Amino acid sequence: MRILAGAALGLSLLTTAAPASATTDIDFFFPVPVQGKLANEMTKLIDQFNRSQNDVAVTAVYTGAYDDTNLKTRAAIQAGRPPAAVLMSANFIREYVINDEAIDLGPLIAKDGQTPEKFIAQFWPAVRTNATENGHVYGAPFHNSTPILYYNTDMFKEAGLNPEKPPATWQDLVDAAKKLTKSDGKTMTRSGIVIPSNYDSLGWVVSGLAMSNGGDYYNRGWGGEVYYNTASTIGAVQFLDDLVHKHHVMPDGVTDAGVASNAFFAGRTAMMIQSTGALGFIRDNMKLPFKVAFIPRALRNAVPIGGASLLIPKGNTPAREAAAWKLIKYLTSPEINGGWSRFTGYFAPRMAAYDLPEMKAYLAQNPDAKVAVDQLAYAQPWFATFNTVGVRKALEDQVQAVLSGKVKPADAMVNAQKAADALLRPYVEQTALKLPQ
Amino acid sequence: MKASRVGVILAALAAILWLAPFAWMGVASARPQVSGALDLASLFPSGPFSPDNYIEAWTSGHFPLWYANTILLCGGILAVQTVTVSLAGYAFARLQFPGRETIFTLFLLQLLLPPAVLVVPNLVMITKLGLFDSLAGVAAPYCASAFGVFLMRQTFRAMPRDFEDAAMVDGATRLQVIRHILIPLAGPGLAAFAVVSVTSHWNEFLWPLMAVSSPRAQVLTVGLASFTRGAEAGGEWGVIAAGTTLVAAPLLLGFLFFQRRFVSSLVFTGLK
Amino acid sequence: MSQAVLAAPALGVRHRRILPHTTLLALGLLTPSLLLLAAFTYWPVMGVTLRSLTQQRFGQKPSWGIDNFVRLFADPHFSTAAWNTLLYALGTIVPSLALALLLALALREQGRLTTLLRTIIVMPLLIPLVAVAALFIFIFLPGGGLIDYYLAALGMAQTNWLGDPDLALGAIIAITIWKNTGYYMLFFLAGLAGIPEEYHEAAKIDGAGIATRFWRITLPLLGPTIGFVAVIALVNTLVQIDHVIVMTGGGPSDSTNMILYYIYQQAEQNMDSGLASAATVICVGALLALSIISLRALEQGIHYES
Repeated sequence: MRILAGAALGLSLLTTAAPASATTDIDFFFPVPVQGKLANEMTKLIDQFNRSQNDVAVTAVYTGAYDDTNLKTRAAIQAGRPPAAVLMSANFIREYVINDEAIDLGPLIAKDGQTPEKFIAQFWPAVRTNATENGHVYGAPFHNSTPILYYNTDMFKEAGLNPEKPPATWQDLVDAAKKLTKSDGKTMTRSGIVIPSNYDSLGWVVSGLAMSNGGDYYNRGWGGEVYYNTASTIGAVQFLDDLVHKHHVMPDGVTDAGVASNAFFAGRTAMMIQSTGALGFIRDNMKLPFKVAFIPRALRNAVPIGGASLLIPKGNTPAREAAAWKLIKYLTSPEINGGWSRFTGYFAPRMAAYDLPEMKAYLAQNPDAKVAVDQLAYAQPWFATFNTVGVRKALEDQVQAVLSGKVKPADAMVNAQKAADALLRPYVEQTALKLPQ
Repeated sequence: MKASRVGVILAALAAILWLAPFAWMGVASARPQVSGALDLASLFPSGPFSPDNYIEAWTSGHFPLWYANTILLCGGILAVQTVTVSLAGYAFARLQFPGRETIFTLFLLQLLLPPAVLVVPNLVMITKLGLFDSLAGVAAPYCASAFGVFLMRQTFRAMPRDFEDAAMVDGATRLQVIRHILIPLAGPGLAAFAVVSVTSHWNEFLWPLMAVSSPRAQVLTVGLASFTRGAEAGGEWGVIAAGTTLVAAPLLLGFLFFQRRFVSSLVFTGLK
Repeated sequence: MSQAVLAAPALGVRHRRILPHTTLLALGLLTPSLLLLAAFTYWPVMGVTLRSLTQQRFGQKPSWGIDNFVRLFADPHFSTAAWNTLLYALGTIVPSLALALLLALALREQGRLTTLLRTIIVMPLLIPLVAVAALFIFIFLPGGGLIDYYLAALGMAQTNWLGDPDLALGAIIAITIWKNTGYYMLFFLAGLAGIPEEYHEAAKIDGAGIATRFWRITLPLLGPTIGFVAVIALVNTLVQIDHVIVMTGGGPSDSTNMILYYIYQQAEQNMDSGLASAATVICVGALLALSIISLRALEQGIHYES
């Protein structure tokens, strides 16, 4: 077997070494976060890139959802066949760095005569933290989102609310939701608000509410700490609990993000919190008039960043790394980045994209997209720790239990903190608690 | 007589329940794309047939290529399996050799361990063999089949030995006996196995997703997932229904045509 | 029957004479399968077993021990997943086998209607589980989905089928029963066709009622088939979790987490290959034991017949 493997390795070295002067073939893994149309659009973009030059030939590989992409990338790395570039959920980058599976983009940036600081400064401030680790750049942001409030303007009018003045604070939100909720005796026929609470969405939303409530949620500089059992997070979870069990304006149990969208389309909820990345999809499918607004605040405006960045896994040849870098620069150029943003509804992380005339025209035509961009001023980094998914689930399992009325917020956060600390322990022992002997 | 009629009536009620998701799939896939429609769940068509969803599903993917790859994959697996399971099935059914029961138990271990359970080591293995990112790589772990060996052993056991013994007396070798006497007689058993094998590989998702990167080697389920697994928003139910219909149609039609033959072939396998 | 009795001693004589040849031949016939099994089953299983006994935590040197198993049994998520898997297995296998057997009994006669009904019951087998999951997300949609739409017509309130920790596992179970019952029914149809009609006729003449005939003749003679189908069903419930991955991700609050999904989470999300391997070893061991017991029953059934 070893002989075979050796032969295969030799062969692959030969094939990659030989055409160094000619075309380098690379593969690029990408997930489709919203719908099938995007896969086509991405394939078109890559075709366009391939035709635009002769050095690099990219094969775009659709790899399922964000989690599938992570799984597939990891499996390919373990099997010794890493892809040259991956579009990865932006908060997974820290873990790739911790596990030494992504390359520092610094040397490639330096070859272009730039510094990492200058490179990353081309992107919105809010997206920089998730792409860097201790001053090194590991990811190039490609498309990003924040949660935003979608509301049905007809229902606002019908309930005597002013659609031009959406709720700005948590108190406003509760007041409006009470007026918007319709009940038929005991059962709710229309909810005031729906907040997605499936795994992934829920952690994201709670982190935003906790930050709005004055907290920090996680340690931004180091992946070994989360702040679940704190007043700011408990208050945020209590707020969700109250929406369901005290004010009766939100359905109980867990609501999937897709289910939330469907309820909004069908007029079964007056408001919902959803990603700005879904803006294109919602615009296409919502037949009732709607608007978007900032997420209402507690003590301050704050929303977490979401979306994806481009990274290069370790284990590629220098030729493939250089080719991948060329692709990354193309995809994050203002023109391409802006075009993708207009097609999807995600905002473009590359700031210069907003200086282009077609982007200005688009924002003038689509005030909802402008709200999403304006909210960027309050955007905070996306939580990222050692074992991000597990640590996130430790919180989500408990908040889901709260939403189902099985546990009280204060107890839930004690449990969540305990579970998260246990998951973080191996990393903490090897870093913060590894003291001089 | 009466009892059997009551049975059929109850079975018909169950069948109505079983059919509901398919009925909805058919109706929803044929609805025009005016979504936000409140009666999306209705089981009755809201108008004449509209090809919108099928057109969108068909143009969002590369169905001809996916069909070709899936057929190639299932056919290839089945061809190799036919050889491996017939040979092994014969050995377990007809030959006495030391350790037979132990080896048979070892075979059955595979029944419990589809590649989905052993994704990472299997990926490493197909990479070592140079089969990563090819249909051959997707097929490799399935080329031996414990289930098939089990079925074939039962099939061979259920056959009378007269023909073989006569042929052996006439000087035929074992391999000749297997090829010219047993395999033709085992047709129904092999047919049953073929249906089980093709059905499961046609419908598998996780392993082909992992083992193949290039679009040129993509299969139907992985392709279909590109529009059923949206993350940040709601699904487009009509398109999902249309895509699922496109993926499942060949097997559904095949089953409708060969239904009777399939059930009767299972009877021959000696699974009594 | 007499044929077998006569053939056996004759065969024995021949075997004694050419035993090494037979063994070699058997080896030759088994080699293709054994090579493939070695590469894709035994080698990975040995790898998993070794890894389960290797203690390696972040940033530390690996060493041998049973630390992984200790951690596994201390992990509340594992016990939840094991308990859910047990509920799920019981909740799917018992009803779907019972239903499959009843349907097979009702639909065993050939005829246009029975053929149609059989076809309908088998149809779910033919569509991919990932696609089934996508369809059922809609079917279970609170308020506007297929179920709630028609329940509302009966005056029932909307239900959060997949979002309520008390209902989600039941919803997943319902999908599995819908998907697999037809498959098991096919095996039972085959088994029923193998029971000679004379047995029933004879019993009828003796005055046995329909229930007596079922309990005294049909069920005992179907024993091996039931054993076989039970094994297939058991394996299916453990490994077919595409719908859990797509629909609930093990939630809400871990209520649909299963052992295989737990393994997948440990391996791919928490990067704890030690814990994942230990869970795999436990899972495979349990399956193996259960399957061997069921298959023994099956083997015995076959021996009795011949």
